[in-house]
Amino acid sequence: MASKVKEQETIPVSKVQRAAKFISTGAKVGGNYVKHYAKKMVNPSMDKEELHSNNATDIYNSLSELKGSALKVAQMMSMDKNLLPRAYQDKFTMAQYSAPPLSYPLVVKTFQKYFGKPPEGIFDTFTRSAVNAASIGQVHQATKDGKTLAVKIQYPGVSDSVSSDLKLVRPFALRLLNMNEKELDHYMEEVEERLVEETDYTLEVKRSREISEACAHIPNLRFPTYYDEFSSERVITMDWISGKHIKEWMETNPSQQSKNQVGQALWDFYHHQVHNLKQVHADPHPGNFIIQDDSRLGIIDFGCVKVIPEDFYRGYFPLMKKGMVLREDELNQIFYSLDFISDRDTEEEKIYFRGVFKDMISLLGMPFHVDRFDFADDGYFERIFQLGDKISNDKMFKKSRQARGSRHGLYINRTYFGLYNLLNQLQAEVDTTKPEWLK
Amino acid sequence: METTTTKKTVKKDYRKLILEGYVNHVLEHGAEPASVFKFAKDLKMKEEEFYTYFTSFESIKSSIWVSIFDSTLEQIEAQEVFKEYSVREKFLSFLFTWIEELKKNRSYLLSLYQDKSKAFKSLPSDTREFKEKFKDFAGELISEGRESQEIASRPVIADRYDEALWLQVVFIFKYWLDDRSPRFEKTDAAIEKSVNLAFDLMGKSALDSFLDFAKFLYQTK
Repeated sequence: MASKVKEQETIPVSKVQRAAKFISTGAKVGGNYVKHYAKKMVNPSMDKEELHSNNATDIYNSLSELKGSALKVAQMMSMDKNLLPRAYQDKFTMAQYSAPPLSYPLVVKTFQKYFGKPPEGIFDTFTRSAVNAASIGQVHQATKDGKTLAVKIQYPGVSDSVSSDLKLVRPFALRLLNMNEKELDHYMEEVEERLVEETDYTLEVKRSREISEACAHIPNLRFPTYYDEFSSERVITMDWISGKHIKEWMETNPSQQSKNQVGQALWDFYHHQVHNLKQVHADPHPGNFIIQDDSRLGIIDFGCVKVIPEDFYRGYFPLMKKGMVLREDELNQIFYSLDFISDRDTEEEKIYFRGVFKDMISLLGMPFHVDRFDFADDGYFERIFQLGDKISNDKMFKKSRQARGSRHGLYINRTYFGLYNLLNQLQAEVDTTKPEWLK
Repeated sequence: METTTTKKTVKKDYRKLILEGYVNHVLEHGAEPASVFKFAKDLKMKEEEFYTYFTSFESIKSSIWVSIFDSTLEQIEAQEVFKEYSVREKFLSFLFTWIEELKKNRSYLLSLYQDKSKAFKSLPSDTREFKEKFKDFAGELISEGRESQEIASRPVIADRYDEALWLQVVFIFKYWLDDRSPRFEKTDAAIEKSVNLAFDLMGKSALDSFLDFAKFLYQTK
């Protein structure tokens, strides 16, 4: 897959065009399947990797041209690594960085609209082109009074197009994620809620400030200051956090000690949010974290915050307790209360899914069962992927018409997979702290 | 209370008075005045006086379009960055600013042009003067673009580029009239995307290379 990301200058605008884009991708994916089976007839040893990689390229190309919420969905799917075969993952992680830029006159216009002045009228300097793409906007660098600032500007019309985009993604997601329709709708609602919130920059500034204040005591973290006077519904101005993204930082060969320090800061950050604040930065993709020269971890972009309802919290986290798998009765009760298993299931299904979920929690809970966990252990992640692959290919799983798992679990799972994954990228070993009642 | 200081100033700006009076009338009644006679009477002037400034309601509408265009140009040229812009950005900047100017007159424009069948007839004639001026502006942009290689020189069609940009202006206007999104964000997106498309088409593209290659094959055969 040596195909380069094409620089793109037009963005499909109307619903029809967007739909057309999806349809053409759908056709391509279909074509890839045809090609795959044709090749397989000739060469039976060919495996599905190539097919996946062809599909991923087509889907990625299409999604990245759509921008906005479709890009967001691509990001989200790339987070749930265990759900997607490897080839999809590699392509989708690219979606986390690249998206085509807005023209400068539109940036000027946005500023005129909200502040009555062009960027030059507000800042001492302001970069003409974007220095970074955010999922639903882009970031410019500015300076004022000797401070370097990051200015995030949202694409016009994104918030309006969220729900229509999601409807477009739906048939796609059905196919990609091997989910049935009921299951999907159950989660789509939750996704839509989060995405709509994410387009509200005023809310984002408020939350960013709340969470960064509440986490200020955690060592080795760094949060930017937010500037209300230069922020609005579509613009956020904050301190520029200089440093490197995880991938770049890892290329500088940091010492194990720094890796552990960053990893620990990350773990503590999530521990405090989940167990004490009960609201969590639910977008742990690598673009939102910046590692500074002194191995401090900068955290930006609080667009996606999931508030954890108390009853879900009480119901869900006991699953992480050590030895939980052995306590059949308690476990059954939790499975029922979280909608993993319901009375609509047949006996056979009940037994099957109990087994599946047991496998899952004993694997995912592993870091919680010990005091210190080494996330550098690729074998552990290999097992998670294998389990994901195995489950999503299982006939029993595909056949099931039930939506499983509480909708709140969607973002919590995503957060934890994301966190594990970042820690794996960091090759960090961390003290996996947990609240008293989970020990 | 009322003092007599404003007892007929020596020279009233009748031109401005007529323009404003006309816009107000359209805004309040949702339609043009019944006749020049009636309109002049409302403004407390004689009908023949009216004709020294305008010859008909059409010429009033026309000069409103022109004044919107003029103030748009004034504004974009006042921007420091404008000179540094590429041609594509200049045109984008023009449209974004123009839409802002239109916004100030939205109700007026809506009552005149919302009705599609009527607008179909009146819009081309009302905007004739504006179109002339716009084409001068577009012509400058295009020759600048040719110099900077942003716009490819192609035989025959290259001479119609100003016409194409005009069609785009009309398209954006119609889109904006129907736009119901908050702050007209959809129009902003429409401008951004349509201008990008137009300039991609006008710029050197794969098509030119293809034609060039085809010509080469044909000639060397």
